[in-house]
Amino acid sequence: MTTEENSRNEVEISIEDLDVTFHDNSGNEVRALEGVSLDIRKGEFISLVGPSGCGKTTLLRTIADLQKPTDGMIHVAGRLPREERLMQKFGIVFQQPVLFDWRTVQKNVELPLELMYYSRKDRHQRAKDMLEMVGLSDFADSYPSQLSGGMQQRVNIARAFAIRPEILLMDEPFSALDEFTKEKLHEDLLRMWRQTNKTVIFVTHNIQEAVFLSDRICVLSPHPGRLSAIVDVTLNRPRTAEMKYTPEFNSLVEKVRNSFEGGSI
Amino acid sequence: MKKIVKTRWFSILFWVVILAAVWEAAAFHVAATKRNPENILPHLYQIIAAAFSTQKVNQSMTATQLVLSSAATTVFRAALGFAIGVASGFVLALLMNLSGIIEKIAFPYLMIIQMIPILGMAPIILSITGSINVSRILIAAILTFYPVATNTLAGFKSVEKEKYELMASYAAKKRSLYTKVLIPQCIPYFFTGMKISAPMAITAAILVDTLQGDGGLGCVLSQSLRHAMSISVFWLIVFFSAFLGIISWKLMGWLEVMFTPQKRHLSKKKQTDGKDVELCTKEKNRSGKSFLKAGVLQR
Repeated sequence: MTTEENSRNEVEISIEDLDVTFHDNSGNEVRALEGVSLDIRKGEFISLVGPSGCGKTTLLRTIADLQKPTDGMIHVAGRLPREERLMQKFGIVFQQPVLFDWRTVQKNVELPLELMYYSRKDRHQRAKDMLEMVGLSDFADSYPSQLSGGMQQRVNIARAFAIRPEILLMDEPFSALDEFTKEKLHEDLLRMWRQTNKTVIFVTHNIQEAVFLSDRICVLSPHPGRLSAIVDVTLNRPRTAEMKYTPEFNSLVEKVRNSFEGGSI
Repeated sequence: MKKIVKTRWFSILFWVVILAAVWEAAAFHVAATKRNPENILPHLYQIIAAAFSTQKVNQSMTATQLVLSSAATTVFRAALGFAIGVASGFVLALLMNLSGIIEKIAFPYLMIIQMIPILGMAPIILSITGSINVSRILIAAILTFYPVATNTLAGFKSVEKEKYELMASYAAKKRSLYTKVLIPQCIPYFFTGMKISAPMAITAAILVDTLQGDGGLGCVLSQSLRHAMSISVFWLIVFFSAFLGIISWKLMGWLEVMFTPQKRHLSKKKQTDGKDVELCTKEKNRSGKSFLKAGVLQR
């Protein structure tokens, strides 16, 4: 085994018997996650899929230390999520672009770098490279309000990659986009992931999307959120759009769909 | 023709003509009914004549010189009060956002400031402070304070949960959260507050002027009513005060565009398109249009 394969098998995030319970806005107790155990390997692209209310976003937020676990343990690279967050190891991409209206596209990507005390020159260069990677170099001086939804989401992704996070957490990043933009961004994302070799945790309710992108798919069931199956995606890399029409792809989609409790969503 | 009707200048001209007609009709009516003092509602040409007349209305100055010099005094006092009100309003909003306790204590009672007839209390404030200058500035400051504080707080509250979480994921310190997210995002709200209160500060300064001498527009205003300094001076001041109010509002709008990069960018783009700089006029036009459309549909 080469050293690279070794590092790929190394566990990056270990989740043991995780319970998360919180109170919603009307004060009701929500059992979002119950008894979830999962090991995520370094450099892995893993998807969390399931119907709404299955706790997939909660799981992602708990890993990122945006939500406290009620019981159980999470370790990220051997440390607590909070320590990892304070060490700025996470890059988060929300469903909404969450851009800052008063900053240009370039300055939006630079924002996290400012917080990390990069020099002006380094910030500028890094943001420029990232924008090139997502194909938005021509829009560096535009303001977010001048961009389409797909372009805004690309800025969001560029910003997440700019800090070179160890772990990229994506919460339904493409669900508000049209099919064409989505497909383009799938390929962009896989290319960037291949180049940077980060661990990606990707939340989605779209099974095709999960199959196309992931190494493994964690299927969660709702009320309370439990991990009901893990499906290995055996498709070769690099993935191409044509693969979506192969029998192998379709049988994987079928397999994921059948792993929901009760057989279907 | 339609294009001309749609322009901004047409609507301005429309209003000027209508108002002038109403004014003149009223002036003829007042002249016919013999009020005291005489000529209390002069014709527009008389007011304009007064503005350009070289005749001295007091020992040293013509009407226009008098209006301008008193306006300078008034605007200076209003601006001072306004600045104090803006600063304290912003600081209070910041404190309320920083501390839930301060917000709980202060916010419900902030409304009460709006309820107190501050202008009516001007004579008492004058006797408490003992100085007309201090009371002018104080009253302008109190009137400015509330709209700035509440709008700024609304600006802070407008920051979405995701932005806080994004900043948390970068392990951003509270200071950076404020300087990089909360304060920039509240700037347009802050300016909304200032746009409301700038004309109020000027009105307040003029009204407090009427209480006692020591110069200022309000002071000349009451003099021109009492003595026969020529009633045209009175109306000249009324017009000029309205003009000052509009200018102060406009000035806030310009400052806002200066301090909000995304709007500055849009306005630059609009200028190159040969359209209007002011952003809200476009919105107004749009809502006006949809209103017209609704009217057409009903018909």
